[in-house]
Amino acid sequence: MVNPKCQPTKKIKQMIDVLLEPFSYGYMNSAILVSTIVGGLCAFLSAYLMLRGWSLIGDALAHSVVPGVAGAYLIGLPFAVGAFISGGLAASIILFLNERSGLKSDVVIGIIFTAFFGLGLFIVSLYPMAISIETITMGNILAISYSDTVQLLIIGFVSLFVLLLKWRDLMVVFFDETHARTVGIDPTLLKIIFFTILSASVVAAMQTVGAFLVVAMVVTPGATAYLICDRFPSLILLSVLMGSTTCFIGSYLSFFIDGATGGIIVVLQTLVFIFVFIAAPKYGYLSARAKFKRARQGVENEY
Amino acid sequence: MNIETLFMPFQFLFMQNAFFIVLVLSVPTALLSCFLVIKGWALMGDAISHAVLPGIVIAYIAGIPLLIGAFLAGMFCAWSTGFLSENSRIKEDTIMGITFSGMFGLGIVLFVAFETSAHLDHILFGNILGVVRLDIFVALIIACLIIAFFTVFWRDLMLFSFDPIQAKALALPTTLLHYGLLAVLSLAIIATLKAVGLILAIGLFIIPGAIAFLVSNRLSSMLLISVFVNIFSMLGGLYLSFFIDSAPAPTIILLLTVVFILVFCRKYFVDKRKTNIFISGVK
Repeated sequence: MVNPKCQPTKKIKQMIDVLLEPFSYGYMNSAILVSTIVGGLCAFLSAYLMLRGWSLIGDALAHSVVPGVAGAYLIGLPFAVGAFISGGLAASIILFLNERSGLKSDVVIGIIFTAFFGLGLFIVSLYPMAISIETITMGNILAISYSDTVQLLIIGFVSLFVLLLKWRDLMVVFFDETHARTVGIDPTLLKIIFFTILSASVVAAMQTVGAFLVVAMVVTPGATAYLICDRFPSLILLSVLMGSTTCFIGSYLSFFIDGATGGIIVVLQTLVFIFVFIAAPKYGYLSARAKFKRARQGVENEY
Repeated sequence: MNIETLFMPFQFLFMQNAFFIVLVLSVPTALLSCFLVIKGWALMGDAISHAVLPGIVIAYIAGIPLLIGAFLAGMFCAWSTGFLSENSRIKEDTIMGITFSGMFGLGIVLFVAFETSAHLDHILFGNILGVVRLDIFVALIIACLIIAFFTVFWRDLMLFSFDPIQAKALALPTTLLHYGLLAVLSLAIIATLKAVGLILAIGLFIIPGAIAFLVSNRLSSMLLISVFVNIFSMLGGLYLSFFIDSAPAPTIILLLTVVFILVFCRKYFVDKRKTNIFISGVK
Protein backbone atom coordinates (compact mmCIF):
# COMPACT_ATOMS: atom_id res chain seq x y z
CA MET A 1 0.00 0.00 0.00
CA VAL A 2 1.14 3.50 -0.68
CA ASN A 3 1.69 5.72 2.27
CA PRO A 4 -1.08 8.35 2.03
CA LYS A 5 1.41 11.03 3.01
CA CYS A 6 3.41 10.37 -0.13
CA GLN A 7 0.55 10.79 -2.55
CA PRO A 8 0.64 14.53 -3.16
CA THR A 9 4.33 14.46 -3.91
CA LYS A 10 3.75 11.55 -6.22
CA LYS A 11 1.05 13.46 -8.01
CA ILE A 12 3.28 16.48 -8.38
CA LYS A 13 6.02 14.24 -9.66
CA GLN A 14 3.65 12.75 -12.20
CA MET A 15 2.57 16.18 -13.26
CA ILE A 16 6.15 17.31 -13.68
CA ASP A 17 6.81 14.20 -15.71
CA VAL A 18 3.93 15.05 -17.99
CA LEU A 19 5.07 18.64 -18.27
CA LEU A 20 8.63 17.63 -19.05
CA GLU A 21 7.61 14.92 -21.47
CA PRO A 22 7.99 17.10 -24.58
CA PHE A 23 11.64 17.63 -23.78
CA SER A 24 12.35 13.92 -23.78
CA TYR A 25 11.76 13.68 -27.52
CA GLY A 26 14.49 14.70 -29.91
CA TYR A 27 12.09 16.12 -32.46
CA MET A 28 10.41 18.29 -29.86
CA ASN A 29 13.72 19.65 -28.69
CA SER A 30 14.81 20.61 -32.16
CA ALA A 31 11.36 22.02 -32.98
CA ILE A 32 11.39 24.17 -29.87
CA LEU A 33 14.95 25.33 -30.47
CA VAL A 34 14.37 26.20 -34.12
CA SER A 35 11.09 27.99 -33.58
CA THR A 36 12.50 30.01 -30.68
CA ILE A 37 15.36 31.26 -32.81
CA VAL A 38 13.21 31.89 -35.87
CA GLY A 39 10.67 33.66 -33.66
CA GLY A 40 13.34 35.93 -32.27
CA LEU A 41 14.70 36.69 -35.72
CA CYS A 42 11.29 37.54 -37.16
CA ALA A 43 10.53 39.70 -34.15
CA PHE A 44 13.77 41.59 -34.72
CA LEU A 45 12.71 42.33 -38.30
CA SER A 46 9.16 43.20 -37.24
CA ALA A 47 10.44 46.17 -35.28
CA TYR A 48 11.78 47.67 -38.53
CA LEU A 49 8.90 46.69 -40.80
CA MET A 50 6.38 48.31 -38.53
CA LEU A 51 8.25 51.61 -38.56
CA ARG A 52 7.85 52.00 -42.29
CA GLY A 53 4.34 50.57 -42.66
CA TRP A 54 5.80 47.64 -44.56
CA SER A 55 4.16 45.05 -42.39
CA LEU A 56 2.22 43.40 -45.17
CA ILE A 57 5.28 42.94 -47.36
CA GLY A 58 6.16 40.10 -45.01
CA ASP A 59 2.79 38.54 -45.71
CA ALA A 60 3.22 38.99 -49.43
CA LEU A 61 6.69 37.41 -49.36
CA ALA A 62 5.38 34.44 -47.43
CA HIS A 63 2.71 33.75 -50.03
CA SER A 64 5.10 34.39 -52.88
CA VAL A 65 7.58 31.68 -51.94
CA VAL A 66 5.08 28.91 -52.72
CA PRO A 67 5.81 28.67 -56.48
CA GLY A 68 9.53 28.67 -55.67
CA VAL A 69 9.08 25.75 -53.33
CA ALA A 70 6.97 23.86 -55.86
CA GLY A 71 9.42 24.63 -58.66
CA ALA A 72 12.38 23.58 -56.55
CA TYR A 73 10.77 20.24 -55.82
CA LEU A 74 10.06 19.81 -59.49
CA ILE A 75 13.67 20.19 -60.59
CA GLY A 76 15.23 18.79 -57.45
CA LEU A 77 16.75 21.91 -55.96
CA PRO A 78 16.79 22.45 -52.20
CA PHE A 79 13.54 23.79 -50.84
CA ALA A 80 15.08 26.96 -49.44
CA VAL A 81 16.78 28.01 -52.69
CA GLY A 82 13.58 28.03 -54.72
CA ALA A 83 11.70 29.81 -51.97
CA PHE A 84 14.40 32.40 -51.67
CA ILE A 85 14.53 33.07 -55.43
CA SER A 86 10.79 33.46 -55.86
CA GLY A 87 10.55 35.58 -52.73
CA GLY A 88 13.24 37.89 -54.05
CA LEU A 89 11.57 38.03 -57.45
CA ALA A 90 8.24 38.96 -55.87
CA ALA A 91 9.84 41.67 -53.76
CA SER A 92 11.59 43.23 -56.75
CA ILE A 93 8.42 43.13 -58.88
CA ILE A 94 6.53 44.82 -56.07
CA LEU A 95 9.14 47.57 -55.87
CA PHE A 96 9.15 47.97 -59.67
CA LEU A 97 5.36 48.17 -60.02
CA ASN A 98 5.18 50.54 -57.09
CA GLU A 99 7.27 53.01 -59.00
CA ARG A 100 5.90 52.49 -62.49
CA SER A 101 2.24 51.51 -62.42
CA GLY A 102 0.61 54.36 -60.52
CA LEU A 103 -1.36 51.83 -58.51
CA LYS A 104 -1.45 52.14 -54.74
CA SER A 105 1.18 50.02 -53.05
CA ASP A 106 -1.32 47.81 -51.24
CA VAL A 107 -2.95 46.97 -54.57
CA VAL A 108 0.45 46.05 -56.01
CA ILE A 109 1.25 43.85 -53.02
CA GLY A 110 -2.12 42.17 -53.31
CA ILE A 111 -1.76 41.46 -57.02
CA ILE A 112 1.74 40.09 -56.77
CA PHE A 113 1.18 37.75 -53.92
CA THR A 114 -2.06 36.30 -55.25
CA ALA A 115 -0.46 35.89 -58.64
CA PHE A 116 2.54 34.09 -57.17
CA PHE A 117 0.43 32.00 -54.87
CA GLY A 118 -1.88 31.11 -57.73
CA LEU A 119 1.14 30.11 -59.81
CA GLY A 120 2.33 27.88 -56.98
CA LEU A 121 -1.00 26.11 -56.67
CA PHE A 122 -1.17 25.84 -60.44
CA ILE A 123 2.21 24.08 -60.59
CA VAL A 124 1.23 21.75 -57.76
CA SER A 125 -2.04 20.87 -59.46
CA LEU A 126 -0.32 20.13 -62.77
CA TYR A 127 2.49 18.07 -61.31
CA PRO A 128 1.23 16.35 -58.18
CA MET A 129 4.23 16.00 -55.93
CA ALA A 130 5.21 14.30 -52.75
CA ILE A 131 5.13 17.50 -50.74
CA SER A 132 1.64 18.27 -49.60
CA ILE A 133 0.50 21.82 -50.02
CA GLU A 134 -0.48 21.74 -46.37
CA THR A 135 3.13 21.53 -45.22
CA ILE A 136 3.87 24.71 -47.13
CA THR A 137 0.83 26.54 -45.94
CA MET A 138 0.59 25.24 -42.39
CA GLY A 139 4.22 24.52 -41.62
CA ASN A 140 5.27 21.31 -40.03
CA ILE A 141 7.93 22.03 -37.48
CA LEU A 142 7.27 18.85 -35.51
CA ALA A 143 8.34 16.70 -38.45
CA ILE A 144 11.41 18.74 -39.28
CA SER A 145 14.37 16.72 -40.52
CA TYR A 146 17.89 16.93 -39.16
CA SER A 147 19.30 18.62 -42.26
CA ASP A 148 16.48 21.18 -42.23
CA THR A 149 17.17 21.90 -38.57
CA VAL A 150 20.81 22.60 -39.33
CA GLN A 151 19.86 24.70 -42.35
CA LEU A 152 17.38 26.78 -40.34
CA LEU A 153 19.80 27.24 -37.47
CA ILE A 154 22.47 28.47 -39.87
CA ILE A 155 20.02 30.88 -41.52
CA GLY A 156 18.92 32.06 -38.09
CA PHE A 157 22.36 32.64 -36.65
CA VAL A 158 23.83 34.30 -39.73
CA SER A 159 20.86 36.66 -40.01
CA LEU A 160 20.93 37.50 -36.32
CA PHE A 161 24.66 38.13 -36.54
CA VAL A 162 24.26 40.53 -39.48
CA LEU A 163 21.38 42.28 -37.73
CA LEU A 164 23.39 42.70 -34.55
CA LEU A 165 26.23 44.23 -36.55
CA LYS A 166 24.05 46.53 -38.61
CA TRP A 167 21.05 47.34 -36.43
CA ARG A 168 22.12 50.90 -35.82
CA ASP A 169 22.68 51.68 -39.50
CA LEU A 170 19.39 50.04 -40.40
CA MET A 171 17.65 52.14 -37.79
CA VAL A 172 19.02 55.31 -39.33
CA VAL A 173 17.95 54.21 -42.81
CA PHE A 174 14.45 53.29 -41.67
CA PHE A 175 13.92 56.49 -39.75
CA ASP A 176 15.39 58.95 -42.20
CA GLU A 177 17.00 58.00 -45.49
CA THR A 178 18.30 61.46 -46.27
CA HIS A 179 20.03 61.67 -42.94
CA ALA A 180 21.49 58.20 -43.51
CA ARG A 181 22.97 59.39 -46.79
CA THR A 182 24.51 62.47 -45.24
CA VAL A 183 26.25 60.47 -42.54
CA GLY A 184 27.71 58.18 -45.19
CA ILE A 185 25.46 55.15 -45.05
CA ASP A 186 24.32 53.61 -48.31
CA PRO A 187 20.54 53.14 -47.90
CA THR A 188 20.13 51.01 -51.03
CA LEU A 189 22.76 48.54 -49.89
CA LEU A 190 21.26 48.31 -46.42
CA LYS A 191 17.78 47.85 -47.83
CA ILE A 192 19.03 45.02 -50.01
CA ILE A 193 20.65 43.42 -46.97
CA PHE A 194 17.46 43.88 -45.00
CA PHE A 195 15.22 42.34 -47.64
CA THR A 196 17.61 39.44 -48.13
CA ILE A 197 17.45 38.70 -44.42
CA LEU A 198 13.70 39.14 -44.50
CA SER A 199 13.29 36.66 -47.34
CA ALA A 200 15.57 34.19 -45.60
CA SER A 201 13.67 34.45 -42.35
CA VAL A 202 10.31 34.24 -44.07
CA VAL A 203 11.49 30.99 -45.63
CA ALA A 204 12.60 29.83 -42.21
CA ALA A 205 9.40 30.92 -40.52
CA MET A 206 7.37 29.21 -43.20
CA GLN A 207 8.64 25.86 -42.01
CA THR A 208 7.77 26.75 -38.44
CA VAL A 209 4.32 28.26 -38.72
CA GLY A 210 3.47 27.95 -42.41
CA ALA A 211 3.08 30.50 -45.16
CA PHE A 212 -0.22 31.90 -43.93
CA LEU A 213 0.89 32.71 -40.43
CA VAL A 214 4.31 34.15 -41.16
CA VAL A 215 2.70 37.57 -41.21
CA ALA A 216 1.98 37.34 -37.49
CA MET A 217 5.61 36.56 -36.73
CA VAL A 218 6.84 39.62 -38.63
CA VAL A 219 4.14 42.00 -37.43
CA THR A 220 2.78 41.27 -33.98
CA PRO A 221 5.90 41.34 -31.76
CA GLY A 222 7.07 44.69 -33.10
CA ALA A 223 3.63 46.25 -32.77
CA THR A 224 3.27 44.96 -29.22
CA ALA A 225 6.61 46.36 -28.20
CA TYR A 226 5.72 49.65 -29.87
CA LEU A 227 2.83 50.05 -27.43
CA ILE A 228 5.25 49.88 -24.52
CA CYS A 229 8.58 51.35 -25.59
CA ASP A 230 9.59 54.76 -26.81
CA ARG A 231 13.20 54.00 -27.57
CA PHE A 232 14.13 51.88 -30.56
CA PRO A 233 16.81 49.69 -28.93
CA SER A 234 14.49 48.72 -26.11
CA LEU A 235 11.72 48.19 -28.67
CA ILE A 236 13.90 45.68 -30.51
CA LEU A 237 14.86 43.95 -27.30
CA LEU A 238 11.30 43.61 -26.07
CA SER A 239 10.07 42.52 -29.46
CA VAL A 240 12.71 39.79 -29.73
CA LEU A 241 11.97 38.69 -26.20
CA MET A 242 8.28 38.43 -26.94
CA GLY A 243 8.76 36.70 -30.29
CA SER A 244 11.07 34.02 -28.99
CA THR A 245 9.13 33.43 -25.75
CA THR A 246 5.82 32.97 -27.53
CA CYS A 247 7.46 30.65 -30.06
CA PHE A 248 9.06 28.65 -27.27
CA ILE A 249 5.82 28.29 -25.30
CA GLY A 250 3.76 27.76 -28.44
CA SER A 251 5.82 24.92 -29.81
CA TYR A 252 5.98 23.41 -26.31
CA LEU A 253 2.18 23.56 -25.97
CA SER A 254 1.62 22.12 -29.41
CA PHE A 255 2.94 18.82 -28.09
CA PHE A 256 -0.20 18.49 -25.98
CA ILE A 257 -2.74 19.27 -28.68
CA ASP A 258 -1.16 17.39 -31.56
CA GLY A 259 0.25 19.82 -34.04
CA ALA A 260 -1.03 23.19 -35.22
CA THR A 261 2.18 24.67 -33.84
CA GLY A 262 1.86 27.73 -36.04
CA GLY A 263 -1.70 28.38 -34.98
CA ILE A 264 -0.84 28.15 -31.29
CA ILE A 265 2.17 30.43 -31.59
CA VAL A 266 0.14 33.04 -33.45
CA VAL A 267 -2.79 32.85 -31.05
CA LEU A 268 -0.37 33.32 -28.15
CA GLN A 269 1.19 36.36 -29.81
CA THR A 270 -2.23 37.82 -30.47
CA LEU A 271 -3.28 37.29 -26.86
CA VAL A 272 -0.15 39.05 -25.63
CA PHE A 273 -0.89 41.89 -28.04
CA ILE A 274 -4.48 42.24 -26.82
CA PHE A 275 -3.32 42.24 -23.21
CA VAL A 276 -0.72 44.90 -23.90
CA PHE A 277 -3.19 46.94 -25.95
CA ILE A 278 -5.55 47.05 -22.98
CA ALA A 279 -3.10 47.41 -20.15
CA ALA A 280 0.06 49.08 -21.48
CA PRO A 281 1.22 51.76 -19.05
CA LYS A 282 1.44 54.67 -21.45
CA TYR A 283 -0.19 53.85 -24.76
CA GLY A 284 -2.72 51.27 -23.58
CA TYR A 285 -6.45 51.60 -23.98
CA LEU A 286 -7.18 51.92 -20.25
CA SER A 287 -4.53 54.52 -19.57
CA ALA A 288 -5.64 56.51 -22.63
CA ARG A 289 -9.20 56.47 -21.31
CA ALA A 290 -8.03 57.55 -17.88
CA LYS A 291 -5.99 60.35 -19.39
CA PHE A 292 -8.98 61.49 -21.42
CA LYS A 293 -11.17 61.50 -18.33
CA ARG A 294 -8.63 63.46 -16.34
CA ALA A 295 -8.27 65.99 -19.14
CA ARG A 296 -12.02 66.44 -19.36
CA GLN A 297 -12.30 66.84 -15.62
CA GLY A 298 -9.56 69.44 -15.75
CA VAL A 299 -11.54 71.35 -18.39
CA GLU A 300 -14.75 71.07 -16.41
CA ASN A 301 -13.06 72.30 -13.25
CA GLU A 302 -11.82 75.35 -15.05
CA TYR A 303 -15.29 76.50 -15.97
CA MET B 1 -9.02 18.81 -82.53
CA ASN B 2 -12.58 19.14 -83.76
CA ILE B 3 -15.55 21.14 -82.62
CA GLU B 4 -16.78 18.34 -80.41
CA THR B 5 -13.69 18.45 -78.22
CA LEU B 6 -14.05 22.20 -77.88
CA PHE B 7 -17.56 21.79 -76.56
CA MET B 8 -16.74 18.84 -74.38
CA PRO B 9 -16.51 20.78 -71.09
CA PHE B 10 -20.10 21.88 -71.45
CA GLN B 11 -21.38 18.32 -71.53
CA PHE B 12 -20.56 17.53 -67.93
CA LEU B 13 -22.94 18.58 -65.20
CA PHE B 14 -20.14 19.56 -62.78
CA MET B 15 -18.58 21.77 -65.43
CA GLN B 16 -21.93 23.37 -66.21
CA ASN B 17 -22.41 24.12 -62.53
CA ALA B 18 -18.90 25.49 -62.30
CA PHE B 19 -19.39 27.73 -65.34
CA PHE B 20 -22.62 28.99 -63.92
CA ILE B 21 -21.28 29.88 -60.47
CA VAL B 22 -18.27 31.55 -62.04
CA LEU B 23 -20.53 33.65 -64.22
CA VAL B 24 -22.64 34.61 -61.21
CA LEU B 25 -19.61 35.58 -59.15
CA SER B 26 -17.71 37.49 -61.77
CA VAL B 27 -19.94 40.58 -61.80
CA PRO B 28 -20.11 41.42 -58.06
CA THR B 29 -16.42 40.72 -57.45
CA ALA B 30 -15.45 42.92 -60.38
CA LEU B 31 -17.62 45.81 -59.17
CA LEU B 32 -16.28 45.48 -55.67
CA SER B 33 -12.67 45.31 -56.80
CA CYS B 34 -12.91 48.74 -58.47
CA PHE B 35 -13.97 50.37 -55.22
CA LEU B 36 -11.39 48.51 -53.18
CA VAL B 37 -8.62 49.56 -55.54
CA ILE B 38 -9.66 53.20 -55.50
CA LYS B 39 -10.22 53.29 -51.78
CA GLY B 40 -6.92 51.56 -51.02
CA TRP B 41 -8.68 48.74 -49.28
CA ALA B 42 -7.08 46.01 -51.34
CA LEU B 43 -5.64 44.38 -48.29
CA MET B 44 -8.90 44.66 -46.39
CA GLY B 45 -10.16 41.92 -48.70
CA ASP B 46 -7.09 39.89 -47.82
CA ALA B 47 -7.64 40.43 -44.11
CA ILE B 48 -11.33 39.61 -44.11
CA SER B 49 -10.93 36.53 -46.22
CA HIS B 50 -8.35 35.10 -43.82
CA ALA B 51 -10.39 36.11 -40.81
CA VAL B 52 -13.43 34.20 -42.02
CA LEU B 53 -11.80 30.88 -41.13
CA PRO B 54 -12.49 30.79 -37.35
CA GLY B 55 -16.09 31.78 -38.06
CA ILE B 56 -16.50 28.82 -40.35
CA VAL B 57 -14.92 26.40 -37.91
CA ILE B 58 -16.94 27.69 -34.94
CA ALA B 59 -20.14 27.58 -36.98
CA TYR B 60 -19.27 24.04 -37.92
CA ILE B 61 -18.76 23.04 -34.31
CA ALA B 62 -21.88 24.86 -33.13
CA GLY B 63 -23.97 23.51 -35.97
CA ILE B 64 -25.19 26.85 -37.31
CA PRO B 65 -25.00 27.67 -41.03
CA LEU B 66 -21.41 28.27 -42.08
CA LEU B 67 -22.37 31.44 -43.91
CA ILE B 68 -23.50 33.16 -40.74
CA GLY B 69 -20.34 32.26 -38.89
CA ALA B 70 -18.20 33.42 -41.77
CA PHE B 71 -20.06 36.70 -42.10
CA LEU B 72 -19.84 37.48 -38.40
CA ALA B 73 -16.13 36.66 -38.31
CA GLY B 74 -15.49 38.87 -41.33
CA MET B 75 -17.33 41.79 -39.80
CA PHE B 76 -15.60 41.24 -36.47
CA CYS B 77 -12.24 41.47 -38.21
CA ALA B 78 -13.21 44.69 -40.00
CA TRP B 79 -14.63 46.23 -36.84
CA SER B 80 -11.72 45.29 -34.61
CA THR B 81 -9.21 46.59 -37.16
CA GLY B 82 -11.02 49.93 -37.11
CA PHE B 83 -11.30 49.96 -33.33
CA LEU B 84 -7.67 49.04 -32.68
CA SER B 85 -6.25 51.54 -35.11
CA GLU B 86 -8.41 54.34 -33.74
CA ASN B 87 -7.35 53.57 -30.18
CA SER B 88 -3.65 52.92 -30.55
CA ARG B 89 -0.67 54.50 -32.18
CA ILE B 90 0.03 51.58 -34.49
CA LYS B 91 -0.38 51.95 -38.26
CA GLU B 92 -3.51 50.51 -39.76
CA ASP B 93 -1.84 47.96 -42.00
CA THR B 94 0.09 46.58 -39.05
CA ILE B 95 -3.13 46.28 -37.09
CA MET B 96 -4.72 44.52 -40.03
CA GLY B 97 -1.86 42.02 -40.12
CA ILE B 98 -2.22 41.34 -36.41
CA THR B 99 -5.98 40.93 -36.50
CA PHE B 100 -6.30 38.65 -39.46
CA SER B 101 -3.33 36.47 -38.67
CA GLY B 102 -4.54 36.11 -35.09
CA MET B 103 -7.99 35.08 -36.26
CA PHE B 104 -6.59 32.75 -38.90
CA GLY B 105 -4.33 31.14 -36.29
CA LEU B 106 -7.31 30.70 -33.99
CA GLY B 107 -9.22 29.09 -36.83
CA ILE B 108 -6.43 26.60 -37.43
CA VAL B 109 -6.06 25.75 -33.76
CA LEU B 110 -9.82 25.21 -33.44
CA PHE B 111 -9.81 23.15 -36.60
CA VAL B 112 -7.10 20.86 -35.25
CA ALA B 113 -8.44 20.74 -31.70
CA PHE B 114 -12.00 19.79 -32.68
CA GLU B 115 -11.74 17.18 -35.34
CA THR B 116 -14.28 18.39 -37.84
CA SER B 117 -15.10 16.46 -40.94
CA ALA B 118 -14.80 19.55 -43.12
CA HIS B 119 -11.90 19.62 -45.53
CA LEU B 120 -9.52 22.41 -44.72
CA ASP B 121 -8.34 22.21 -48.32
CA HIS B 122 -11.77 23.00 -49.63
CA ILE B 123 -12.16 25.98 -47.34
CA LEU B 124 -8.74 27.33 -48.23
CA PHE B 125 -8.54 26.56 -51.90
CA GLY B 126 -12.15 26.11 -52.93
CA ASN B 127 -13.75 23.18 -54.64
CA ILE B 128 -15.30 24.57 -57.75
CA LEU B 129 -15.92 21.25 -59.43
CA GLY B 130 -17.90 20.06 -56.42
CA VAL B 131 -20.35 22.95 -56.57
CA VAL B 132 -23.96 21.89 -56.09
CA ARG B 133 -27.19 23.66 -56.90
CA LEU B 134 -27.52 25.08 -53.38
CA ASP B 135 -24.14 26.81 -53.67
CA ILE B 136 -25.17 28.40 -56.95
CA PHE B 137 -28.42 29.53 -55.38
CA VAL B 138 -26.63 31.14 -52.42
CA ALA B 139 -24.10 32.79 -54.71
CA LEU B 140 -26.91 34.08 -56.92
CA ILE B 141 -28.73 35.67 -53.97
CA ILE B 142 -25.56 37.28 -52.64
CA ALA B 143 -24.63 38.50 -56.12
CA CYS B 144 -28.07 40.10 -56.55
CA LEU B 145 -27.77 41.79 -53.15
CA ILE B 146 -24.36 43.18 -53.98
CA ILE B 147 -25.35 44.39 -57.43
CA ALA B 148 -28.44 46.04 -55.94
CA PHE B 149 -26.29 47.74 -53.31
CA PHE B 150 -23.98 49.12 -55.97
CA THR B 151 -26.79 50.24 -58.30
CA VAL B 152 -28.43 52.20 -55.51
CA PHE B 153 -25.34 53.65 -53.87
CA TRP B 154 -22.66 53.78 -56.52
CA ARG B 155 -22.56 57.55 -56.74
CA ASP B 156 -22.34 57.92 -52.98
CA LEU B 157 -19.72 55.21 -52.88
CA MET B 158 -17.76 56.91 -55.60
CA LEU B 159 -17.55 60.14 -53.65
CA PHE B 160 -16.87 58.24 -50.46
CA SER B 161 -14.01 56.33 -52.08
CA PHE B 162 -12.37 59.32 -53.72
CA ASP B 163 -12.89 61.91 -51.03
CA PRO B 164 -14.34 60.75 -47.73
CA ILE B 165 -14.05 64.20 -46.19
CA GLN B 166 -16.17 65.85 -48.85
CA ALA B 167 -18.63 62.99 -48.57
CA LYS B 168 -18.97 63.77 -44.91
CA ALA B 169 -19.30 67.48 -45.60
CA LEU B 170 -22.17 66.75 -47.99
CA ALA B 171 -23.90 64.89 -45.13
CA LEU B 172 -23.63 61.48 -46.76
CA PRO B 173 -23.98 58.68 -44.21
CA THR B 174 -20.26 57.83 -44.31
CA THR B 175 -20.30 55.41 -41.39
CA LEU B 176 -23.14 53.53 -43.06
CA LEU B 177 -21.29 53.48 -46.37
CA HIS B 178 -18.09 52.35 -44.66
CA TYR B 179 -19.70 49.42 -42.91
CA GLY B 180 -21.99 48.75 -45.86
CA LEU B 181 -18.98 48.32 -48.11
CA LEU B 182 -17.33 46.07 -45.54
CA ALA B 183 -20.49 43.99 -45.20
CA VAL B 184 -20.71 43.66 -48.97
CA LEU B 185 -17.07 42.61 -49.03
CA SER B 186 -17.66 39.95 -46.38
CA LEU B 187 -20.70 38.67 -48.26
CA ALA B 188 -18.77 38.53 -51.51
CA ILE B 189 -15.93 36.62 -49.89
CA ILE B 190 -18.39 34.09 -48.54
CA ALA B 191 -19.95 33.70 -51.97
CA THR B 192 -16.58 33.04 -53.58
CA LEU B 193 -15.49 30.67 -50.82
CA LYS B 194 -16.85 27.59 -52.50
CA ALA B 195 -15.54 28.52 -55.90
CA VAL B 196 -12.00 29.75 -55.37
CA GLY B 197 -11.37 29.40 -51.65
CA LEU B 198 -10.19 31.86 -49.04
CA ILE B 199 -6.72 32.49 -50.31
CA LEU B 200 -7.25 33.12 -53.98
CA ALA B 201 -10.49 35.07 -53.48
CA ILE B 202 -8.29 38.08 -52.81
CA GLY B 203 -7.13 37.97 -56.40
CA LEU B 204 -10.68 38.42 -57.63
CA PHE B 205 -11.07 41.43 -55.36
CA ILE B 206 -7.96 43.21 -56.56
CA ILE B 207 -6.81 42.26 -60.03
CA PRO B 208 -9.90 43.16 -62.15
CA GLY B 209 -10.10 46.57 -60.52
CA ALA B 210 -6.37 47.14 -60.95
CA ILE B 211 -6.56 46.23 -64.65
CA ALA B 212 -9.46 48.63 -65.15
CA PHE B 213 -7.58 51.29 -63.20
CA LEU B 214 -4.66 51.05 -65.61
CA VAL B 215 -6.93 51.35 -68.63
CA SER B 216 -9.41 54.02 -67.66
CA ASN B 217 -9.67 57.22 -65.73
CA ARG B 218 -13.43 57.21 -65.26
CA LEU B 219 -15.14 55.14 -62.62
CA SER B 220 -18.08 54.24 -64.85
CA SER B 221 -15.87 52.81 -67.57
CA MET B 222 -13.64 51.23 -64.95
CA LEU B 223 -16.61 49.30 -63.62
CA LEU B 224 -17.55 48.11 -67.11
CA ILE B 225 -14.02 47.10 -68.04
CA SER B 226 -13.41 45.21 -64.85
CA VAL B 227 -16.68 43.31 -65.23
CA PHE B 228 -15.81 42.28 -68.78
CA VAL B 229 -12.25 41.34 -67.90
CA ASN B 230 -13.45 39.32 -64.96
CA ILE B 231 -16.11 37.44 -66.91
CA PHE B 232 -13.61 36.67 -69.64
CA SER B 233 -10.88 35.47 -67.31
CA MET B 234 -13.09 33.46 -65.03
CA LEU B 235 -14.88 31.62 -67.82
CA GLY B 236 -11.65 31.32 -69.81
CA GLY B 237 -9.65 30.07 -66.84
CA LEU B 238 -12.22 27.45 -66.01
CA TYR B 239 -12.45 26.35 -69.64
CA LEU B 240 -8.67 26.15 -69.95
CA SER B 241 -8.25 24.22 -66.72
CA PHE B 242 -10.45 21.47 -68.14
CA PHE B 243 -8.04 20.87 -70.98
CA ILE B 244 -4.70 21.22 -69.24
CA ASP B 245 -6.01 19.34 -66.24
CA SER B 246 -5.05 21.99 -63.69
CA ALA B 247 -6.86 23.29 -60.64
CA PRO B 248 -9.47 25.81 -61.86
CA ALA B 249 -9.08 28.53 -59.23
CA PRO B 250 -5.33 29.10 -59.70
CA THR B 251 -5.83 28.98 -63.46
CA ILE B 252 -8.39 31.77 -63.22
CA ILE B 253 -6.03 33.87 -61.11
CA LEU B 254 -3.17 33.24 -63.53
CA LEU B 255 -5.28 34.27 -66.50
CA LEU B 256 -6.21 37.49 -64.69
CA THR B 257 -2.53 38.05 -63.98
CA VAL B 258 -1.64 37.55 -67.64
CA VAL B 259 -4.25 40.14 -68.62
CA PHE B 260 -2.80 42.48 -66.00
CA ILE B 261 0.71 42.02 -67.36
CA LEU B 262 -0.44 42.70 -70.94
CA VAL B 263 -2.33 45.81 -69.92
CA PHE B 264 0.58 47.02 -67.84
CA CYS B 265 3.05 46.52 -70.69
CA ARG B 266 0.81 48.40 -73.07
CA LYS B 267 0.50 51.29 -70.64
CA TYR B 268 4.22 51.21 -69.95
CA PHE B 269 5.18 51.47 -73.62
CA VAL B 270 2.51 54.04 -74.44
CA ASP B 271 3.74 56.18 -71.54
CA LYS B 272 7.30 55.78 -72.71
CA ARG B 273 6.44 56.79 -76.27
CA LYS B 274 4.56 59.82 -74.97
CA THR B 275 7.58 60.86 -72.92
CA ASN B 276 9.83 60.39 -75.95
CA ILE B 277 7.56 62.50 -78.15
CA PHE B 278 7.46 65.10 -75.42
CA ILE B 279 11.24 65.11 -75.08
CA SER B 280 11.82 65.36 -78.85
CA GLY B 281 9.22 68.15 -78.96
CA VAL B 282 11.12 70.05 -76.29
CA LYS B 283 14.37 69.61 -78.21
